[in-house]
Formats: sequence, C-alpha cells, structure tokens
Amino acid sequence: MSKTYKYKKIIIRRRYRILAAILIILSGGLVLLPKYQKNVGIKPETFLLNLMSPERYISTDFLANSLISKDPSILLIDVRSAKEYSDFSLPNATNIPLSAILKPDNETYLDQDGYKVIFYSNDNFYADQAWLIAKRFGYNNIFVLKGGLNAWFNTILNPEMPKTSDSELEFQKYNTRKAAAMFFGIGAVNTLNSNAATPNIAPKKIILTKTKKKTTGGGC
Amino acid sequence: MGPLIPNGIIPPEWDFVIALLIGIIFGYVLEASGFSSSRKLAGVFYGYDFVVLKVFFTAAVVAVIGIYYLDYLGFIDISKLYIHPTYLWAAIVGGIVMGLGFILGGFCPGTSLCAVAIGKIDAMAYGVGILIGVFIFSEFFSFIQPLFDGSNYGAITLVDTLGISPYWFIFLFSLVAIIAFVISDLVRKKVKKIFY
Repeated sequence: MSKTYKYKKIIIRRRYRILAAILIILSGGLVLLPKYQKNVGIKPETFLLNLMSPERYISTDFLANSLISKDPSILLIDVRSAKEYSDFSLPNATNIPLSAILKPDNETYLDQDGYKVIFYSNDNFYADQAWLIAKRFGYNNIFVLKGGLNAWFNTILNPEMPKTSDSELEFQKYNTRKAAAMFFGIGAVNTLNSNAATPNIAPKKIILTKTKKKTTGGGC
Repeated sequence: MGPLIPNGIIPPEWDFVIALLIGIIFGYVLEASGFSSSRKLAGVFYGYDFVVLKVFFTAAVVAVIGIYYLDYLGFIDISKLYIHPTYLWAAIVGGIVMGLGFILGGFCPGTSLCAVAIGKIDAMAYGVGILIGVFIFSEFFSFIQPLFDGSNYGAITLVDTLGISPYWFIFLFSLVAIIAFVISDLVRKKVKKIFY
C-alpha cells in the first residue's frame, strides 16, 4: 500500500465521520429545538385585513331581495340562542348558537363552497363574533347581516316613511321595502306584529358539501 | 408557504414540466453514480457493495430532516404532504416480487431505464420483462384485485403507529442509518473484493 493511498484513506474516513456527525447534530437539533404550538387557520396579517374590510356586511335590502327572488345560494345562520330562534327567525334560517359554533357538526355549515353563509343576530355584534371565529379558520363565503334583526325590522318589516323633502329614490326604496314587508307577511302599516311575520317561502333543502382539503395527490 | 403546488404558488399545469426536469436530473445522478450497473446493484445482496443501501438510507434521512426543519420554520405544512396509503399484504407480496426481480435481473425499474439509455442489452431484456409483467398483471387483475385493494390501513406513518414524537423518531432513524453504514462497511471489508 503506497503512502498516498493510506493518506487518502484517512481523509475519506475522516470525511465520513464528519458527515455522520452532521447527521447526528441536525437530527438531534430537531429533538432539542423548543417546540411551539402551530396556529391553525389563516395568518394574522390576512385576518386583520379581512377584519378591516367591510365586505363582510350584507344589507337588509340585499337580503330581502335575495329571499324574495328565492336565491338558492344563500344560507342564513341564526347565531342567537335556540329560544330566540324559535320565537322569531328569518325564513329558512338555521340555528347555530354562538356558543356552539365550534362544534364539529357545524363545521360543514361553515366550511363549504356551495352557499353564501350569512350570520345574523339581534344586532350585528354576535354575528360579527361568529364571523371572526369562522374567518380565523380560513372559511370563505361568510357574511354578516348589517344591523341584524333590528335593522331587518326597522328597514324591511317596518320601514320609516321618507320625508316629503326626500328624493324620489328614497320613495322608491320605501315602496320596495313596503312591498317586501308584504311579501314577508305584513299587510298594512298598523297590523305590524313580529309573530305575524310568516312569509310564504317554501322551506329550503340544504345540501352541504364540504370544501375539499388541499393536499398533494399522486405518488410514484 | 409550501407545499408549492397545493397552495397554488406553482400552478398544477407545471406538474409535467417539473416532473420532466426532476426526472432528467434523477436519471443523470443515477447514471453518474454507477447505478446503471447491475453488478453494483446486486452487490448489496452479495455483500461486496452497499452503495444502494447507503444512497437510499442517506436520501431518506436527509429528506426527512430537511422536511421537518422546513416545517419547523413554517415553510412547509407537513399535514398537506401526500402520504401513500398502506395496503399491508399487497405491499408485502409486492415487495417479495420486486426483491426477486431485483436480484434475478440486477436492476430496479428506474435503474433499468437508466441502463437502457446507455445501451445495455441486459437492461433492454429487463425492460421487455417489465412490459410482460405489466401485461400479465393487467390480464389477471380481477384475480389479484382482492389483494390489491384489501388490508387498506389508510395514510398511516410509523410515527402514528408507534405513537412517538416524530423528532425522536428521526433522531433514532439517523442513528440506525449511521450504524447500518458502519456495519455494511465492515461486511464489505470481510467479503472478497469483486472488480467490475
């Protein structure tokens, strides 16, 4: 065995040792690294951007129009308690109380592509909270009824008569709202009673399809 | 951020282009490291050359350490990676068939194509054998199907089955790899040298 061959052998052996040491250090590093809780859902920056945007709000006029034109793409979710829901609710709404919004059964209502999910409560505060929770998980197609049922009552069921000095547009809006109120079961102005609001809308059959999880397919 | 394709950073239309590029690089590396020689490949069974074992073990260890570091740093979401589902008995039978073919023919499917590319006649015969095998498999598929579809355990991993922390598993796996390298080297020194 020549001298250079021996020398080379030593170098190669040392190289293997270094490589083995690198492997052990790297894999040991994985064990020793401090573990942290990974957050599920969207990034805080995206969340804040979504939060600031008023796009989530749907007006009562838009909702009334959708209900009257039997828009199949909307899914109303009442986030108030079950008792309030049974007392009065919008037509074809589903009741998911705010406290139950994270239950796995309800996930299919929120995490889907088929419907525009519209949250509502008495005002928009509880609905906004439900929206925040759902948005945090990265669910799309979720909206909030601006002003909630109070706004619904004040604008659609019992709209305020415009002043005589108001524009023609205001009167048109008022007439539309009155017509909508009639659709939702309120005849004349003074027969207003929230329990009498029984709209002539056929119950909607809700078919939920869960959003497909994004994963890599295939393999070799 | 990652994986890049499911998160839409690279559109899925690029799949074939990326696959082609990776394939070319993979083929080049296989050929350059002598994997188109059936003597080198068969050496792992006879104990005079453990390059196959070393390469695959190293690839697995480097990849798993890299992926877990990327996951730790938030560049890749491991839960979104594809895990091939386990069909237990199909895998066992397939492994035996594959192993037999490997030792008889001296190639695995990928390296045989590599060897075809540099014009080895035995590899061409091997390639024809693969096609015959595919034909037989397709013709008898209805007989094989219960085995093919049966005993599906879903996309499980060793970490799920053993219930240990993936980090500890990787550490132990690296140790096992290094021990395997050392032992294989000792075996190689004991076995009579074959020149090829």
